[in-house]
Amino acid sequence: MLTLVLFNVFNGVIVGLFYVLMALGLAMILNLSGVINFAHGNFLALGGYFAFLLVPYIGFWAALVASPLIVGVIGLILERTIIRPLYPRDPVYSLLLTFGLAFIIQDLCRTAWGPNALPLTVPASINQPISTEFFFLTGYRLFIIGIVILAVVALFLFLRHSRMGMRIRAGTLDLETVAALGINVRLLRSFNFGLGIFLAGLAGVLAGGQIGLNPNMGDDLLMPAFIAIIVGGVGSMVGTLLGGLIIGVAAGVTTVFYPSGSEVVIYLIMILVLLLRPRGLLGEEGMMT
Amino acid sequence: MGSRSAPGMARRTLVKAGASLGAIALAAPSIIKARGEEPVRIGFVDPITGIYSAFAQSEVNGAKLAVEDVNKKGGILGRPVELLVEDSANDVGTGVQKALKLINRDHVSAIFGDVNSGIAYALSQVTNEHKVFQIVPGGHTDPITGKDCKWNVFRVCNTTSMDANAVSGELIKRFGKKWYFITPDYAYGQTLQAAFVKNLKEAGGEYQGDMLPLSTTDFSASLIKARAYGPKVLLNNMGGLAQVNCMKQFVQFGLDKQMALGGALYELESLYSVPREALTGWWDYEWWWNQPDVPAAMAFNDLVKKAYNVPAASARHWFGWVGVHSVKLAAEKAKSLDAIKMAKALEGEDLPDEVKCQKGRVYYREGDHQLMANIFVGTPHPAEGGNPANLVTVQSIVPGDKAALPVSETGCHMTWPTA
Repeated sequence: MLTLVLFNVFNGVIVGLFYVLMALGLAMILNLSGVINFAHGNFLALGGYFAFLLVPYIGFWAALVASPLIVGVIGLILERTIIRPLYPRDPVYSLLLTFGLAFIIQDLCRTAWGPNALPLTVPASINQPISTEFFFLTGYRLFIIGIVILAVVALFLFLRHSRMGMRIRAGTLDLETVAALGINVRLLRSFNFGLGIFLAGLAGVLAGGQIGLNPNMGDDLLMPAFIAIIVGGVGSMVGTLLGGLIIGVAAGVTTVFYPSGSEVVIYLIMILVLLLRPRGLLGEEGMMT
Repeated sequence: MGSRSAPGMARRTLVKAGASLGAIALAAPSIIKARGEEPVRIGFVDPITGIYSAFAQSEVNGAKLAVEDVNKKGGILGRPVELLVEDSANDVGTGVQKALKLINRDHVSAIFGDVNSGIAYALSQVTNEHKVFQIVPGGHTDPITGKDCKWNVFRVCNTTSMDANAVSGELIKRFGKKWYFITPDYAYGQTLQAAFVKNLKEAGGEYQGDMLPLSTTDFSASLIKARAYGPKVLLNNMGGLAQVNCMKQFVQFGLDKQMALGGALYELESLYSVPREALTGWWDYEWWWNQPDVPAAMAFNDLVKKAYNVPAASARHWFGWVGVHSVKLAAEKAKSLDAIKMAKALEGEDLPDEVKCQKGRVYYREGDHQLMANIFVGTPHPAEGGNPANLVTVQSIVPGDKAALPVSETGCHMTWPTA
């Protein structure tokens, strides 16, 4: 039993890291622009589908880079055309807009690629278990862990040490003052939005390689991403990382003892956090605590 | 809007946003097809979006072809037939709301639905209350034509007991008596697993299993448990995209080399989407396109292929096809669209060749209104002969009434309205 629990803790970390990738993009957009992006899961799906189109021509590795970039550019265009005009308004407006956008993207995917699941082919060399003992740790899952860690480290370094990153962090705390200092806030928000959508696209390619593609694939991943942000604390990227890991492990361990509760447990954790520490585990001091 | 991000506000808004995710289903758009003058309206409530969308789309497409066919042949009682399709979004509340809209606003003569057994079950209560004739094309849970059967409800697809009974013997004989279940935790999965467990226990077998939420996307935790248990066969009872996801992880983890696969349904729509290593095991097919010695089956298959540019017709296409033709049969025999008269007329009725599309007798059983059709027990394999739909070898055909429990054991006690 102990081995089973430990295996599921380890497996939960892997699942949680995937939630983190999804949640980081969502959190970046929320933190700087106050936009609760309901379409984030659908951008994830787009990332997977574009990779599906590109793989036969440029291969999986190139598609892993190109597809998120394409989705990021689409995100940039949408931010400039339909989301930016809503920044001065109550966040509910952008919430409703992205809510509608989610349906539009989902139906576009269904129209273009059909309702059936499609396979996204990953190189066979990484699609096998690395050992018979740790059979659940396939080369591909290991690769996902590596990509997520790389993305998280790169993002944190970018936010801490680059000029643009520092401006984003400052904007998260006080956008008006940042604007008063002569920084182009429009550009800052656009870049930040595009980067967040790029991360969604990246998550889409990685998810597609594991579970395949379907028009609804982002829906079931969106809620855990929201919960990771709430549990970790709105405004804290480290908190988001922690939140994703906690809910991933909790769902995995719950499956050992009470499989039916593997979904509800993450909501219970969210309720507990909201009751006992409403700002989230690390949500006190703002971004990059 | 203040420039400073206000975490408290953002968190509250975020929590509200999370809550409103649950309302997405209610906002799903409806699809309404072209209307003629004074048509006979059939309302179809099915999960056009969600994990069962591929099945639902096939059912709706099969029904559309049947409507065209019926209209070409003079409609129902001389009136054209119109199909109104609504998306249940795989949500019980949404499905019920859409059915009420079809009944109260569109005054449909019959309701079809739903792929999701839980929704089909809820719809049966709504249609019974409103005395509307209902066909359940593809919701399998036993009580719909079992202990909670209704005079107005007829089912095309099999019960979960029928599917389990048809294949259990083969699974025990070929793979052994130690099973592991991965099952969706709702009406369909619960009754299906119960039927399998009953058969396994009677054979002296043992089992473990996980009942998982329907929306599960990652099955790694359950597969870790399955491997620790060391079963002879893994019964993947998940449906639609969830079953496909589970199969993919099963193969990725190399479990296909350690245990067999099997279960009730592994439908054509799913077979297209799984890795070739997962095309294995013993499963039920509720209708199969490749019946060269049945001209009506081949004609129906050609019709679907031509209309929708798919490799073959699936059981779900056939469910929709049978559903619409059943309404015609009932109405024309009853010479009325009155639900009670239609239900009485359809009891015990045999389907004609061009509708049943298979050999043998296919009929709605009197007493529980369950269609008794053949169950094609088969073994999936990678596509053969250059045909992407040639994915299953049918090993045996089990007549529905051989797999079904007798009416007296289903728990169905049909109560008819007095007026």
